[in-house]
Amino acid sequence: MNLREWIDIRRSNGRRNGLDYNFAFLDDVSKREIRRKILKAVAIPGYQVPFGSRELPIARGWGTGGLQITLSIVLPEDILKVIDQGCDGSVNAVNIKRFVNAVTGVRVTTDTGEATLVQTRHRIPEEPMTDRQILVFQVPYPEALREVEPSERVTRRMHAEADYSRMWLFLYEDIVKFDEITIGYRYPVTVNGRYIMDPSPIPRWDIPRLHMADTLFLFGAGREKRIYAIPPHTPVVPLEFEDYRFRVEDFKGRVCGRCGAADTYLDEVIDDVSGRRLYFCSDTGHCDKRCRP
Amino acid sequence: MRPLLEVRGLTKLFGRGCEHCLPGGVAPEEGNRCGWCGTVVGCGGVSLEIHPGDVLGVVGESGSGKSTLVRLIHFEIEATAGEIYLNNGEETGPRENLLQQSSFRQRQVRNRHMGIVYQNPYLGLRLSVSSGGNIAEKLLAAGWRNVSRIRERAAFLLERTEIPIERMDEPPANFSGGMQQRVQIAKALSNSPQVLLLDEVTTGLDLSVQARVLDLIRNLQRELAIAMIVVSHDLGVIRLLSQRTLVMRHGRVVESGLTDQILEDPQHGYTQLLVSSQL
Repeated sequence: MNLREWIDIRRSNGRRNGLDYNFAFLDDVSKREIRRKILKAVAIPGYQVPFGSRELPIARGWGTGGLQITLSIVLPEDILKVIDQGCDGSVNAVNIKRFVNAVTGVRVTTDTGEATLVQTRHRIPEEPMTDRQILVFQVPYPEALREVEPSERVTRRMHAEADYSRMWLFLYEDIVKFDEITIGYRYPVTVNGRYIMDPSPIPRWDIPRLHMADTLFLFGAGREKRIYAIPPHTPVVPLEFEDYRFRVEDFKGRVCGRCGAADTYLDEVIDDVSGRRLYFCSDTGHCDKRCRP
Repeated sequence: MRPLLEVRGLTKLFGRGCEHCLPGGVAPEEGNRCGWCGTVVGCGGVSLEIHPGDVLGVVGESGSGKSTLVRLIHFEIEATAGEIYLNNGEETGPRENLLQQSSFRQRQVRNRHMGIVYQNPYLGLRLSVSSGGNIAEKLLAAGWRNVSRIRERAAFLLERTEIPIERMDEPPANFSGGMQQRVQIAKALSNSPQVLLLDEVTTGLDLSVQARVLDLIRNLQRELAIAMIVVSHDLGVIRLLSQRTLVMRHGRVVESGLTDQILEDPQHGYTQLLVSSQL
């Protein structure tokens, strides 16, 4: 089914049922604006492009930025996967998946390899993604410099002039106090040697996978009304000092209690009955795939 | 030999100006405020030159535009007109009027070649960040990315400015006024600037602390041969530090020359008044 057919069928069905909305919910003007902003974001890697965040049937702060990007670029032939901290089955992920399915009719999946469009909250799927796929991030706080500067006006000037010494100072002070950089997630990165960017609250584990990737990464912050992007094959470098290097989380000696994987990002779960600490893959789709015979 | 820093016709008007006072603000004899439109002359056509290792004093009553001049040279406020050139032997191609460069370029020049010490430490320091961090900020801005080398440099500078090194990781908020001022000097010196701007550095410190800060500045100046612009309303400070002096009033230079000459044989009426009002 192509887009034209879909629209024709839905229009007639929708009129009959009193549900006359556009393909992918948003009106065409909105979608066009968001696509234009995405193009701009891709053209200036790491730069936050302001956009007119639309009202959606879910509240701001629940993934509306990512959802608007998904709705603007989704095609009827797409196969959609939505994850929430790696999990395909969490409420947020399931709701978004169902909503997009209801307003577009696209097929949904939990298999990263099969999906053409993946919307994610705070994780990158374990399975390597290809140049045929797009990964859409939900972003709560798009401004990486907000930690050191509360004023939007000032942070914009800082980005414009590449005046990042205060961000570096923040890391320096961290090292002075704790002898290491203590940022656990939302680790700031330099994109294409220019802008410092907030990679959304993904764990440090996922940061290296943003570097020179084959996949297009799009970031949407609905509440903060910003879109930014990392185009494929773009250098993405975490902030680090020559003698205090960026490190990913260390799961040495621990494996997933379900699939036995030793090379994935693990969640710690405490067993209510025995009180034991258990570890499981945070990416459930990947774990499921490994468990299948 | 070309001067290190050249300033030509530097002008700053606060206000929109009108046909009565433009161009360049109201005439010097009318004061510094236009009676028609209220435009104030912060700095009116100031020109100066500094050679490497030179110390230039700027003296005048409060409101005479001394600090405005320094902030214009430090690119903190936008000039209405004028030219600033830095001839440090690094420039390639035609001379660039720094006032017409992008703020990105201005920031680069400021981070690499300039240092400033303000009257109030809270303007020049982040009081809640450690003293070492304050110095590190300047080095980080200049592209340093090695923590142990940054800390070595910070410790060296703090030692030179007589701050105990074991207090390096304490915020300047814990320090006395004189110590804060010395941390500020250490910060300003961190990137080995070619031009150091001192804006009323000793004002508000008690006399013995003043003497130590001035001693420190004089020693550093002799050793490192930094060019300095020293702004003060205190003729004693000017006499101690500077070889040449500008006298400012109503945003304009009314007299300039060798410091001794100006203090011993003032020509302009205002300078005479200034010198004779010394206690």
